Amino acid sequence: MKFLSLITVLLVGVALVYGTLGMPRWGDPNSPAATHVSPYYLEHSMHDTATPNVVTSVLADYRGYDTLGETSVIFTAGMSCILLLRKRRKHKEEDHV
Amino acid sequence: MFDYIISYYNYWMYAGLMMIGFYGMMAKRNLIKKIIGMNVFQSSIIFFYISSSVKRGGVTVPIIKHVAGAHGSHGVDVMQYANPLPHVLMLTAIVVMVATLGVALAVAILIYRRYHTLEEDEIILCMRKG
Repeated sequence: MKFLSLITVLLVGVALVYGTLGMPRWGDPNSPAATHVSPYYLEHSMHDTATPNVVTSVLADYRGYDTLGETSVIFTAGMSCILLLRKRRKHKEEDHV
Repeated sequence: MFDYIISYYNYWMYAGLMMIGFYGMMAKRNLIKKIIGMNVFQSSIIFFYISSSVKRGGVTVPIIKHVAGAHGSHGVDVMQYANPLPHVLMLTAIVVMVATLGVALAVAILIYRRYHTLEEDEIILCMRKG
């Protein structure tokens, strides 16, 4: 079992390292991630949202509904933790209280 | 050659970190160790995305300095600021990571209460007995 998983992990690692050879170099200012979409947010966020911090303006203004969904994810996780870990009372005691 | 290694070794580090986490998730029998492996796995992916936001050459955090340019959008030098989008997306991913960690630990506590062990093979033995 351990040998099998070691083989799988090594195969995945070799595939990943092979995939990184096509990646842009570290810190390249002309990489695709830095040239296509993100200049729009850096240029227009001050005009659109009047917030100097671009991360905040993208999080709370451009992607506000995403953040709302994220909050519901946190709420669901917290509620499921409470429901899983609470002490279960017997029903008769609850009736008296 | 040395320049080549310098510009790619961060990706190799993330690949190594992901292999460690993946191995921990698959090969370890203890449930807590499996959860730790899952966290290492997720952290490696977050590091990978964060490293794609780096630009070399006098780049700072994406906070626009001159507030006077609020009305004109063309006063911002894009090459002066790091890419903000990976930071935002990984903020979301960190939230999901914390949520999954919390639920996984709660389920581990429940399993320990029921079977009094966290070893996977012992739990399966207990389940087969009845």
